[in-house]
Amino acid sequence: MGVPLALSAQNPVIRNQFSADPTARVFNNKVYIYPSHDIMPPAGQRQDWFCMEDYHVFSSENLTDWEDHGMIVTQNKVPWVRPDSYSMWAPDCVYKDGKYYFYFPSAPAAGRGGFAVGVAVADSPTGPFICEPEPIKGISGIDPCVLIDDDGQAYIYWSGGGIRGSKLKSNMKELDGEMTPVQMPQRQGGQQQGGQQAGNRPPMMMAGQNMEGLPEGFKEGPYVFKRNGWYYLTFPWVRSDKEKGGSGTETLAYSMSKNPLGPWEFKGIIMAEHANNCWTNHHSITEYKGQWYLFYHHNDYSPGDDKRRSVCIDKIGFKPDGTIIEVKPTLRGVGIVKATSKIEMDRYSAASADASVDTLDTSNRFQGWCVTLPKKGAWATFNDVDFSDASNAYLTGRIKAEGNTQVFVREKNAKGKVIAKFTLTVVSDGQFRRDQRGQWLTLTAPVEYMPKGITDLCITCEGEGASVDWIQFKNRQTYFTPAAAQPSHPDAEGFIRRWCLLEPIDKPNRSNTVFTDSYLRENFNQQYFANQFTILPKDGDKVKAGKQTLTWHQMESTTFNSKLFRFSEGLQKQVYGVLFWAVTTIDCPEEIKDVRLAVGSNSASMWWLNGEEALLLSGDRRMVKDDCMSPRLTLKKGRNVLRGAIINGPGMSDFCVRFLDEKGQPVKNFTIINNK
Amino acid sequence: MEILRNILVASSLLLATTASAQSGQPYIHDPSTLAECDGKWYTFGTGSGGIITEDGWNWKGGGVRPGGGAAPDVIKIGDRYLVIYGATGGGLGGGHNGRILTMWNKTLDPQSPDFKYSTAIEVASSDGMEDNDAIDPGVLLDPTTGRLWMSYGTYFGNIRLVELDPNTGERVKGNEAIDIAIDCEASDLIYRNGYYYLLGTHGTCCDGVNSTYNIVVGRSRSVTGPYIDNVNRDMFHGGGKMVIAAGDRVCGPGHFGRTIIDEGVEIMSCHYEADFDQGGRSVLGIRPLLWKNDWPVAGDRFKEGTYMIESERRGYSLELSVDFVRMQGGMRMFGPRDNNQQQEAPKPVENQKLQDVIGTWPSGNINVRIGDYMFRPHQRWTITAVPEAGGYLSNPYFKITIEGTNRALAATADCEVTSVPEFTGAAEQLWRIEQLTDGTFRIMPKQIPGQEGINKRMVLYSAGDCTPTLAEYDFNSDNSKWNFRNH
Repeated sequence: MGVPLALSAQNPVIRNQFSADPTARVFNNKVYIYPSHDIMPPAGQRQDWFCMEDYHVFSSENLTDWEDHGMIVTQNKVPWVRPDSYSMWAPDCVYKDGKYYFYFPSAPAAGRGGFAVGVAVADSPTGPFICEPEPIKGISGIDPCVLIDDDGQAYIYWSGGGIRGSKLKSNMKELDGEMTPVQMPQRQGGQQQGGQQAGNRPPMMMAGQNMEGLPEGFKEGPYVFKRNGWYYLTFPWVRSDKEKGGSGTETLAYSMSKNPLGPWEFKGIIMAEHANNCWTNHHSITEYKGQWYLFYHHNDYSPGDDKRRSVCIDKIGFKPDGTIIEVKPTLRGVGIVKATSKIEMDRYSAASADASVDTLDTSNRFQGWCVTLPKKGAWATFNDVDFSDASNAYLTGRIKAEGNTQVFVREKNAKGKVIAKFTLTVVSDGQFRRDQRGQWLTLTAPVEYMPKGITDLCITCEGEGASVDWIQFKNRQTYFTPAAAQPSHPDAEGFIRRWCLLEPIDKPNRSNTVFTDSYLRENFNQQYFANQFTILPKDGDKVKAGKQTLTWHQMESTTFNSKLFRFSEGLQKQVYGVLFWAVTTIDCPEEIKDVRLAVGSNSASMWWLNGEEALLLSGDRRMVKDDCMSPRLTLKKGRNVLRGAIINGPGMSDFCVRFLDEKGQPVKNFTIINNK
Repeated sequence: MEILRNILVASSLLLATTASAQSGQPYIHDPSTLAECDGKWYTFGTGSGGIITEDGWNWKGGGVRPGGGAAPDVIKIGDRYLVIYGATGGGLGGGHNGRILTMWNKTLDPQSPDFKYSTAIEVASSDGMEDNDAIDPGVLLDPTTGRLWMSYGTYFGNIRLVELDPNTGERVKGNEAIDIAIDCEASDLIYRNGYYYLLGTHGTCCDGVNSTYNIVVGRSRSVTGPYIDNVNRDMFHGGGKMVIAAGDRVCGPGHFGRTIIDEGVEIMSCHYEADFDQGGRSVLGIRPLLWKNDWPVAGDRFKEGTYMIESERRGYSLELSVDFVRMQGGMRMFGPRDNNQQQEAPKPVENQKLQDVIGTWPSGNINVRIGDYMFRPHQRWTITAVPEAGGYLSNPYFKITIEGTNRALAATADCEVTSVPEFTGAAEQLWRIEQLTDGTFRIMPKQIPGQEGINKRMVLYSAGDCTPTLAEYDFNSDNSKWNFRNH
């Protein structure tokens, strides 16, 4: 059982734990990442050094939704590894002849010294992996990488006294070649490693050969792949020429060759040093569904400690001559994000120069980040958002501001078409509204324009500065559907769900406590539009009520109660301080005597059957099924017109109506028809 | 609570109080279920503070709950308290984008060195558009499963149910909210006897003496509902059976909380939107909680007055052990009147009066016994609150005296009862009267002479049909139970 992790395509891609040195491989049309697993050092371990005790594997089919398949190899279960070495560094995994071979370096058990590389074998990319009892003979070093050439020959590369490479035997567990004494060079420019400094040691017996033609300076983490007949040896590299842009930390660099073991021709930089001096970088380069991707790491969740890192992905491209186009690390990463998922705007693909990213919670950085747009005109764009499953949606977002302001969401760029407008009223009005300056608020906004397909979103600051955590489109629940042409029936409980509803009449009331019987009689009997008590409205008919021109809508409620609040909100009409009119025509096959009209309404309402007042519900009222009953009534054979008026101040208006017989059973033997 | 919540935060003005409501400064809105900590009781309301009582009757400010917002609930889980509150205010002044947070504390006593809230974490939210406003949480630790449930919501949409982790106070991973009711606020969940109960408030909030707030209930065999009322109506269709409404010069009860004091001794806490005797302010209300046919019903506040004290065991009445003084006359005429003979209409017979009999009573202590009730002076007890003596979670202490005298019922050092000629205010003459869940009462002396501390064990007890004593409370025995009748 895996644990679904990410819900949004962005960097870093693993968001519940640290992860580094990602080797990405494609097996069975899925991408698997085999990273190192940084942890906070337990007591007794060096607190300012790398600390890794096990490996997890992650998979995805879209580079967006990653699943953690859990721990696959731990230092306690490898026979040759010192169980408290916490040195399970950068691994690799390859497939050959039905088996998955997982290569990993670690510190061997006491007395052996240095680093060795071991193999574990499994039948599936997620394990279970069975560890070989001994490490591979002839490798003293770290960062194994295995290339299986088109002819099936496997090569292994590692770092240890420079970068070395060797053929692997077909069993994938032994080097193919002689052991020779190798004088380990004095380490230059490498990161200070506890106890790992190579001084004037005696020569070591090693297999394979040094990779020739690589530039001067510290190198580690080889990753070799083949593309269009070229072999690429890529590696983290500390450029010595600080004055030419180097900062003394690792870049990602590469060399090319027509031979898998070189000699190599140095070509340049894949990714420059991290801007925040995160010392290491370590990577892999993989093609998936026709696009090449660079997997690398950066200390996003641990900005003050570069030994706790996180895996990131960006697209990578090649020039016609096969050389690599330098990759700029992005927060956005790769993959398409659904409009109906949380779109983490702090992972923008582009932003105005004044936009900045901050951690939401410095005590738990896995909570993520927000983007701050400091002033009017600031913007941030998030590319590749898929609107295909957004319909009848509204927009929500988590936003904070220090003053009243607006944040717009636009399509494509900062000048693009406005999709929705968030309004932040955060300054107290001194009365009811609390001061909400600087507080995270989840806000909603109606969508004014709904993009289609895959597009880019841009948030723009339209007033005082604001910070945005995420935005998300949410599809509305369906409360009503347009009534079908054919007659309908009361539902199983007898509720009448088909009504011709008039858009709300503006009827300002700040409270529902004014709805006394006499207020209601006076106000319901007042004329709002012509033929108010006799009209048999059709869908689309319009009436004039004062200055308002209002339309009748023949609707079928999806629930037993007709939610007028949602009827109005769905039409983007006012929802409070309103008066609704509802009319339905029912057709009885025979006369039905001694029935009662049973109504619940929020708030007050009045009902007429065939022009005669049947029922009044007064007061500040909640909608309760069978709240009030009319006196005994007779439903005529043929057409009967039921008319209601529902009034509301600040509440969520709705009503439910049915007819009950003398025994309290619902009356259902009639049809509900549209007026034509 | 939909409107005006934020301007109704209880403050701490000093006002004269009567014995009819909780005493001291019980000013609160949206109180949490009472929580006991180191012998004191706490409840927290909308705003930041809470109120505290040491004896259960006299309340004062001083509770501390950071985070502001509205309508918290509190539950003790293990040796920690989980405080759950809405960070927002609902409705006016902030929309319906609510958030509910939980935080832990080892103690509720701000003076304790252990008093420290953990960082609050969000367990539920609403986006402002959906059919829910995430405020007004109420929690239940299911005694049958150990699972922790929370209901929340207001009139803005649905009441929802979610599951929390009782070890962490976090939302259970992957838990999806379930809609369980409409048109309610201030919901709470309780469990009893194989039923889960969902309590909610209907009516108008926050309108002072015009507030029609009232508490209704539905029940279900499953915590996820459906919660059905007494006429088979789902609370998701607006159903609800009344638990408590206005009356007794208070109106607008809301925010139910149940507290079990002892077997068969339960109370419900709430606020009244307005206490007519306290300037129409919002105050804490505590009422006995009765159970009738597995439905919860608020009992009445105990009213001072003159009563027969009837044993549930035999139906006899507590009385002084004095000579029965016969009234004049024996058998009166009976049989049909002769219609042809004009006769005077029969005259009422007057009750026996105290002065008719008091001269026959000894002057010192008089024992008490239980006998046939004949509404005679030695059987009529006047029950009067003694507010200066403090109280307990539903009432002040009372004195129980023979009507028209100061002769008072008293406990003795050998765990018997007697009457003393003059009420002195001594603790053995003060009585705690509590209505039990079946509607009967238990009556216990505040103190038993020679015993340390407040008595919480011994009750007035029918040793025999005619013999009262003090014995250990047992809800399952009618010997422990009494009724107060005014007839």
